[in-house]
Amino acid sequence: MIAKKWLLSLMAASLLIVYTAPEPAYAESAPYESYNYNYWEEAVPAPAAYIPERTLTGKDLGVGDFREPGDMAVAASGLIYIADSGNGRIICLDPDWEVIKVITGFDNQGTEDSFKNPSGLYITEDGNLYVADTDNGRVVILSPEGELLGMVEKPASDILPADFKFIPVKVTVDQAERVYVIAKGIFEGIMQFDKNGEFIGYVGTNKVQRDYTEYLWRLISTKAQKAQMALFVPTEFSNIDVDAKGFLYATNIDPGSKEPVKRLNPSGEDVLKRFGYFDIKGDIRYRTAVGPSKFTDIKVLANGMYSALDANQGKVFTYNDEGDLLYVYGGKGNQTGTFKIPVAVEFSQENQLVLDRGKGNIVVFKPTRFGTSVNEAVGYHYNGEDSLAVPVWREVLKLNSNYDIAYIGIGKSLLMDKNNKEALKYFKLGMDRDGYSVAFKRYRREVMQEHFGTFLTAVMILVLAWLSYKLFSFWRRKRLITASRQASPNLKEGNAHEAGFH
Amino acid sequence: MRQDFIKFPLHLIVHPFDSFWDMKYEGKGKVRVALTILLLVVISMILKDQFAGFLVNYNDPRHLNSITQLFTVVFPFFLWCLSNWAITTLMDGEGKFKEIMMATAYALVPLVIIYIPMIVASRFMAEEETAFYYLMMSISSIWFVALLFVGIMTVHQYTVLKTVVTMLLTVAVMGIVVFLGTLVLSMLQQIIEFFINIYRELIFRT
Repeated sequence: MIAKKWLLSLMAASLLIVYTAPEPAYAESAPYESYNYNYWEEAVPAPAAYIPERTLTGKDLGVGDFREPGDMAVAASGLIYIADSGNGRIICLDPDWEVIKVITGFDNQGTEDSFKNPSGLYITEDGNLYVADTDNGRVVILSPEGELLGMVEKPASDILPADFKFIPVKVTVDQAERVYVIAKGIFEGIMQFDKNGEFIGYVGTNKVQRDYTEYLWRLISTKAQKAQMALFVPTEFSNIDVDAKGFLYATNIDPGSKEPVKRLNPSGEDVLKRFGYFDIKGDIRYRTAVGPSKFTDIKVLANGMYSALDANQGKVFTYNDEGDLLYVYGGKGNQTGTFKIPVAVEFSQENQLVLDRGKGNIVVFKPTRFGTSVNEAVGYHYNGEDSLAVPVWREVLKLNSNYDIAYIGIGKSLLMDKNNKEALKYFKLGMDRDGYSVAFKRYRREVMQEHFGTFLTAVMILVLAWLSYKLFSFWRRKRLITASRQASPNLKEGNAHEAGFH
Repeated sequence: MRQDFIKFPLHLIVHPFDSFWDMKYEGKGKVRVALTILLLVVISMILKDQFAGFLVNYNDPRHLNSITQLFTVVFPFFLWCLSNWAITTLMDGEGKFKEIMMATAYALVPLVIIYIPMIVASRFMAEEETAFYYLMMSISSIWFVALLFVGIMTVHQYTVLKTVVTMLLTVAVMGIVVFLGTLVLSMLQQIIEFFINIYRELIFRT
């Protein structure tokens, strides 16, 4: 009896110990709902891939408040540059958020020159800084030390009108040092300059979408009415980034577009892979009051992934190279981790950074176990190491068993290993019909090869049995007929009789 | 039994002109056979949605409902028969309601005899071969429409043009019936609500 009591109290005490244990790391919560879309285009809750770690304002950094910051860029060396547009300066930080320098101006052939509302930034591999100096109508190129290397100014070209105004907003540079500029009021596409600052032409025009009801209205309206109507011009691009292979990733803010994200090859064609269940356009389902996603920034991450920043809903959508939506984080609001007017998304090591113009701060997001695993598995898959990806995908599935991409990933690896039957199961779970078909064809062939002999034997036996049955019944009938003939020999006579009647 | 349920329907789908004639004037074909065919169509539809191969089955398994399936077949069927009967009485059709119903039901036979084997076959198909599945499905529908056409034509002793016009009109009448039906139902609902409200008022006043 006493022993029992002791045991009970011991158990109770152990329970207490368990409950007083420190909260595990995954209990940190995010101020937004994490979700992903399933095959049926329903938003299904998912673990958060990124959670906000800290926010940083200009004051925190010791450089005074940001005023309408416009862009952010992270160099290969890890240095973080922020275009503090309202203050006309560029702030350079090291990865530990210590201010290294503040660039307020530069030496322009002897005279001190400064920025006016710089709203776009790009850092090349060598550390050269490209600044879209918007209100001065130029792109300034600075060396890492802050010396002026060159400028891209208002281009002179036959295809540009005489009253053309050059208002660069965003800038990106590829490996060949061609400069791509998104300028305000330019609907023809992204402006492309060579390394000497000469205008080459436009790349990647957005198409105008035909609206037939509008077309009908136009047919029946008068000239005066037509003059009042909105013009149908292609939408402008909102931001660009360049990936390691020199392909341009561009976003536009066309609200009805199914292709707000484009990957442009050097000749300006859209080559983005869209193999996912649905369009790469941010939210598939949204409240009509809020409207569809409006991408204002895009960042190419490692391993073919890219993150697009949706300013309308304050969310960051990350896709893999095949166009599957990996995860969504962020939202509009006032808490840490939600945004007012997000303008730029970047990544620094494994963290993602979002620059919020409205709040004038930077939010640092760190990946959760889920996010890290997904990134890792996507990386393995992208590099063709599918077998290494499998255990990571299984880990992902432990955290989110609704994660279709993980099922497909495992399926692909199993297919690679010629384990077709298992692969079938995973492709079906991931609702990947193409993969399923390939696996099924192989599996079917396997089964056929294995059982073809048996099958053929069975068919032969059946055919033989049928033949012998036929033969047997034929022989029996014949015997019966001969027997009946013998029994009625007057058959012939009957025939003769009949013939006689005719 | 075998004659009614198997031989005649199978003969009908390949020799529609003769068989519909026999149905009308020789008294072949039975209502219970027609109803059985209808039931088989429902069953094959349900089986198709549930068991067709993964590559051709785009249904969300969470939203499959056999009762709904039943009504989506049975309701339009009777609506069709009723509308056709209504329109053909005005257009000198010779068919009786029973004959219209039997002709329509017997015309559904190809659906049953193509769906069920295709459901089995679709489970052994790869993506390229699903085209064959869709082809067979289309054939079954075309066959059904052709049989229905011949059936209606024979039952009412119409010309080709008149049959086409009647069939189109029947579809229009189906729409009207549905519209009137909803209208009546919603009016009824309001009337009932009105009386309920009066009753409530009376209860509360006294």
